[in-house]
Amino acid sequence: MTAVDGANKRIGIDVGGTNTDAVLMEGDSVLAAVKRPTTQDVASGVVDAVEQLIGQASGRSLGIRSVMIGTTQFINAFVQRKGLARIAAIRVTLPKADAIPPMTAWPQDLIEAVDPDIHLVGGGSFYTGVDYAPLDERAIAKASEAIRAKGIRAIAITANFAPVRPDLETRAEAVVRRILPDADITLSHQVGGIGLLDRENAALINASLSRLSREVIASLRQALEHVGLDAPIYISQNDGTLISEDFARRYPIFTCSAGPTNSIRGAAFLTGLEDGIVIDVGGTTTDIGALAGGFPRETATPHYIGGVRTNFRMPDVLSLALGGGTLVRLSEDRVTLGPESVGYELTRRGRAFGGEELTTTDCIVRLGKATLGRPELLESLPIATARRVYEAIQTAIERGIDEVKANSRPVPAVLVGGGNILVSRELQGVSTLEIPRYADAANAVGAAIARVSGRVDRIFDFHALGRDVALAQAKEDAINAAVAAGASRATVEVAEVVELPMTHMPTGAVQVKVRAVGDLAAPGVREP
Amino acid sequence: MKSIDSIQDIQDTARGAVFLGAGGGGDPYVGELFLRSQLSAGHHPRIESLEDIADDAFVISVAGVGAPTVLVEHLVSAPTFVRLLEESEQVYGRRVDALVSAEIGGANCMFPLALGAMRGLPVLDADGIGRAVPHLDMTTFNIYGCLATPSVLVDDSGNTVIVRTTSNRTAEHVIRNVASALGATIYGSFYPMTGRQAKQFAVAGTLSLALEIGRIIRSAREQSADPVRGLLAGLRKLPDRRPCRLLFEGKIADVLHETRDGWHFGRAVLESTHSGGRSELIIQIQNEYLVARCDGRTVAIVPDLICVLDRESAEPLTAEMLRYGQRVAVVGYAAPSVLRRPESLAVVGPRLFGLKEDFAALEALIPGEE
Repeated sequence: MTAVDGANKRIGIDVGGTNTDAVLMEGDSVLAAVKRPTTQDVASGVVDAVEQLIGQASGRSLGIRSVMIGTTQFINAFVQRKGLARIAAIRVTLPKADAIPPMTAWPQDLIEAVDPDIHLVGGGSFYTGVDYAPLDERAIAKASEAIRAKGIRAIAITANFAPVRPDLETRAEAVVRRILPDADITLSHQVGGIGLLDRENAALINASLSRLSREVIASLRQALEHVGLDAPIYISQNDGTLISEDFARRYPIFTCSAGPTNSIRGAAFLTGLEDGIVIDVGGTTTDIGALAGGFPRETATPHYIGGVRTNFRMPDVLSLALGGGTLVRLSEDRVTLGPESVGYELTRRGRAFGGEELTTTDCIVRLGKATLGRPELLESLPIATARRVYEAIQTAIERGIDEVKANSRPVPAVLVGGGNILVSRELQGVSTLEIPRYADAANAVGAAIARVSGRVDRIFDFHALGRDVALAQAKEDAINAAVAAGASRATVEVAEVVELPMTHMPTGAVQVKVRAVGDLAAPGVREP
Repeated sequence: MKSIDSIQDIQDTARGAVFLGAGGGGDPYVGELFLRSQLSAGHHPRIESLEDIADDAFVISVAGVGAPTVLVEHLVSAPTFVRLLEESEQVYGRRVDALVSAEIGGANCMFPLALGAMRGLPVLDADGIGRAVPHLDMTTFNIYGCLATPSVLVDDSGNTVIVRTTSNRTAEHVIRNVASALGATIYGSFYPMTGRQAKQFAVAGTLSLALEIGRIIRSAREQSADPVRGLLAGLRKLPDRRPCRLLFEGKIADVLHETRDGWHFGRAVLESTHSGGRSELIIQIQNEYLVARCDGRTVAIVPDLICVLDRESAEPLTAEMLRYGQRVAVVGYAAPSVLRRPESLAVVGPRLFGLKEDFAALEALIPGEE
């Protein structure tokens, strides 16, 4: 489960909305952990955290070999429509798919922010991999001229059944490059599987982030150089594996949901748990996720990013509006928890700290289950009331756990996050509950221990190829993709195989999804 | 007459179509966006009630046939739909006066609306089954003797196949194989009929029913702390007063999906989360929800509709969406009365799906409540 050579020292950083967490690790051990406020410019918060972490010594003398960073900057920028590039869409599908042009269901404010230039051209493939129309290179060249005339340099190319025929998109890209050699081009087959609209949306979102990603990656690089670190930077992606600095610059969309994933992966690592439940209690929310084979289980339903539907692989995390700062309201026979929270202002506004608001933390303190603030300020709160609130918290979390579990058997669980004092009794449906050391910095640990993955999502004809040959091909392609992403070939293994037969048709067509995962290859080595 | 005139109306209709799909029929998302882009181009669908159609009018059904996995990749092409209409008129030798959906439940609810909007043709407030079913011949049109063919099938590449068969069962086989040969997504015209036949054989009011159910769910969600009960109250106020029942509320404890011969089979086991003893509801799936049995006793059976809803939001869920741990409510909704007649049960009754029991009406299985 070790990410890199055991002797390697490395730093894991998680840039969250409120805090920037950093850990220093060597092999499987956490040497130090710090938590600092996230700053507006992000970079100075990172510098602050890393400086605290490594003290006065320079990164080089500490022998730090790599820095792994999880960041929410790209998703935040997209949601807030900030710093987005103007984009062009080239869709290679005619004579198909014209009735639903690119961005049909996008929110209007987002369309205004990216001011798109849209081109539909001829070409595309059946699910069998056979062309239904030849790639119209002349139309692509003409579209490229128009895009150049408008001064747009962020382009997304989406071809019909590109997951089966990626060459349709790479050939289209070559035509665009002849006219726009420096364009930021996203190919849809690099960012999604079957389902043209969702895959195209992911490609367009990625294109819109291309300018920002150059700036962000450069500023992170500068921040680390400022503290004397010149180690390679890796960025956490949604599924809990790493991508290189260069890959993240080209595909920022892969980083959009790294936060919850890193916390689940970190919790798994700190406890050695491979299968179970991770409960991350923060100030405002509790995220509950399932761990399967050391990785977060992923969602099956469409995922919306900033109002845009994607078929993105996201950790299947249930978010409850319940944390350490959650407000408690009492009536005759009911306890209502939240959804409002005082969040990071708990130590000012909570009653145990002299404030006016009754929070979940106050009730825990009243019951003597945590030592915080000034318990004497809570004497007017009846013990029975505090107990009812406490039970309501446990019940809410138990319900959440039950919803996330894959079956009804009791499972082991890990509790992390700053609000973990809310949970103290045995939880129903949980066999063992562990709170590891460094539970506060589980997300930064998750970044530091991450591995590298590769994926395949394609349709194979089991009648023609035979199931064994088709699966072997899919697995080999996924392994090659992992190596291309920076994994050491000797360590790559197939982590997941999903077969989805095509319904309503008498064919042998089966959609196959394979994920392969391996350890990061030694820095500077790119394996064949 | 209801009109579908805004993005919200389209979304409501799609949501209602998933409800009426009773677990099957496919996700109407692609059709929803197709209609939405017609609307933004200023092409509004016009809905006409069955009473208003002339007896000698010429009506056809239009529908997509193929694999849902392929539809989400190929999407739809406007010229293909226009060509479908033009070539159908050639083959039938007369102008089409109105369109009707063959199957209101799921994806095929939307295609007639989009084509109607594009060409200024009215769409009848009706369909051929009032729910979703797995085969082309499972329609009231077929039950009352209409032939599904001559049928014109088109793809996006300019290919046209004209099918004339002697039985609707044969038509189903041939058309599905044509779809397979043409890349697993085709569009076709089916069940050419007169306005008079449509009035006699179609299930009336189902398009406005889809819109109305979608609206009821949305407003129940906005206004009520319990959208599922809000939905039931809303269904009871609808003019046709079809019986509905809350069959179960609980958690999905197990779900099994399996594909055989291109069809989706499965079984969902639900556990009650209420105190006072444990209850179990088992739903048998073959594309749609076929039968629901509570602690071994049948509480709803095809062709009555069994609808699984998200417990919190009352969002209807298709069979592929069911997963362990979801909290759901299961609602039974009586099929349109025409489907409960003996001649209909011979075509869409439980035995046709291999079930070893006869149809029993929802309100007979669970009396009271009306």
